[in-house]
Amino acid sequence: MGSAAPLLDVQGVTIQYKTSAQLVTATWRVGFQADRSDRLVLLGPSGCGKSTLLKAIGGYLTPTEGEITLSGRTISGPGPDRVMVFQETDQLLPWKTVLQNVAFALTASGRASGQNADEQAMIAIRTVKLEKFADSYPHTLSGGMKQRVAIARCLAMQPEIVLMDEPFAALDALTRQQMQEELLELWSRSQFTLIFVTHSIEEAILLGNRIVLLSPHPGQVKEIMDVNLDDPGNRFHGRFDELRDTIHRVLFKDVGDYVI
Amino acid sequence: MSFEKSAAITRDLSGISREATAFRSHGQPTDQAISEIVRPLSRAEKIWNQAIVRKSLILVLLAIAWQVYAQQLNNPLMFPTFTDTTAALWNAFTKGELGSRVLVSLRILLSGYGIGVLLATVLAALANATRPGNDLLEVLTAMFNPLPPIALLPLALLWFGLGNGSITFVLVHAVLWPVALSTHSGFASISGTIRMVGRNYGLTGLRYLLHILIPAAFPAILTGLKNGWAFAWRTLIAAELVFGVSSGSGGIGWFIYENKNQLEIAYVFAGLLTVIAIGVTMDSLFRLVERRTINRWGMKF
Repeated sequence: MGSAAPLLDVQGVTIQYKTSAQLVTATWRVGFQADRSDRLVLLGPSGCGKSTLLKAIGGYLTPTEGEITLSGRTISGPGPDRVMVFQETDQLLPWKTVLQNVAFALTASGRASGQNADEQAMIAIRTVKLEKFADSYPHTLSGGMKQRVAIARCLAMQPEIVLMDEPFAALDALTRQQMQEELLELWSRSQFTLIFVTHSIEEAILLGNRIVLLSPHPGQVKEIMDVNLDDPGNRFHGRFDELRDTIHRVLFKDVGDYVI
Repeated sequence: MSFEKSAAITRDLSGISREATAFRSHGQPTDQAISEIVRPLSRAEKIWNQAIVRKSLILVLLAIAWQVYAQQLNNPLMFPTFTDTTAALWNAFTKGELGSRVLVSLRILLSGYGIGVLLATVLAALANATRPGNDLLEVLTAMFNPLPPIALLPLALLWFGLGNGSITFVLVHAVLWPVALSTHSGFASISGTIRMVGRNYGLTGLRYLLHILIPAAFPAILTGLKNGWAFAWRTLIAAELVFGVSSGSGGIGWFIYENKNQLEIAYVFAGLLTVIAIGVTMDSLFRLVERRTINRWGMKF
């Protein structure tokens, strides 16, 4: 698998966007690859363009230079083969129950229909242990539960690649830790390919097997690190502290003032 | 919100919370000192707590005041009594033609309302999709929203003649602008996340409009529909008062006007009460829709 062409190939991607007053370069000639079943983390301080990159992979933004390909095809717009999980807890459709939210994702994207969609949705909801809340509306759920539904919805669609944009950043510390563990557990079951954006070094080491370190203004790749802990998710692993120090050093080598 | 959050965390850490309960149950004194913890309210209190009971009482008091005043005035040409009015109302519905007049009014109202809402949706959808559409809607609503629909009636009579065409035209004008305006602002306030979620599913065009934009903007749209209804209803009655009859079948406004000409003032009052009753009914219908939708979805702002 390793010798074949990568599943996701980001080559020399520059992204610029216009605000009402100026043209901003968010990323500058960024390149990295992800293979099937990779857990690739985009890590960097605010302003390094990591969310912008993820949106470009999602097809919501078009690079001004460079190319992003998925299984060899150039990405030209959003589609159900790349499903996003956002940080904002308003990503569930408030007018649909938990079950309807997941089932609608399947029917709208043409993955399943009718009874079949409901059954698949229910299976996905069970994997995040929310079957008791299948008929609840999103506004009655806690932040962590909403994110679990969003993850269930995403996995139910069986995308080629899962895109997560700081999905746990708005949660309290305890819930966040639990969600990180649950995410790894889900990954070990179906080995989906994950691109995960975060600004937390710890989260990056915990979740990723490959970390792309980005520097800000404009976003550029500093280094790509293979983590490959034999026991992902173990915060007491011997190499954890060592990795954290290395990443810290790389990120802050020549920029002392950026707040991560 | 914070309660729900804490409930969820409690569930998540059920092991810990169980320990905590066990801990708490050790040395706490029981609540012997408090004589009553929960007491059901008395029947009278429960009844009084019903808003409908209190509001009905106000209606009864108003009716009594009306009756007393009208009897003292003793001038049925100026101010008929409550009982005369209810008798007239009964007669007009059972023997007279008030029922069919109401139907005439409602039918024309529904067609005007329907066309107006449809046009408003198209305009707002165009405005959401393109910048020229957005500019067009903003210019048009800025111009026509402040223009009272009834002011267009003389022009409408010139263009469409005496009859339903003119009233429908005025009604469309009454509905279109407020509904377009609030649908537009509803679309504009949809979060970027929800939009991206919809597009992630591959939804575009009409499916995107129906499955994402309209439900996401529904609180604002419902407000627009309510306002549009209120404008349309008032405009309709006013327009019917001005002429309102074509081929012998006028609406409820014409009923009021006709009876005034024949000095059947109790019937004029009966017509007005009918206008009020229909308005109140529609209002509670909208409130029902609101409860079933945006309240249930937690989208009420």
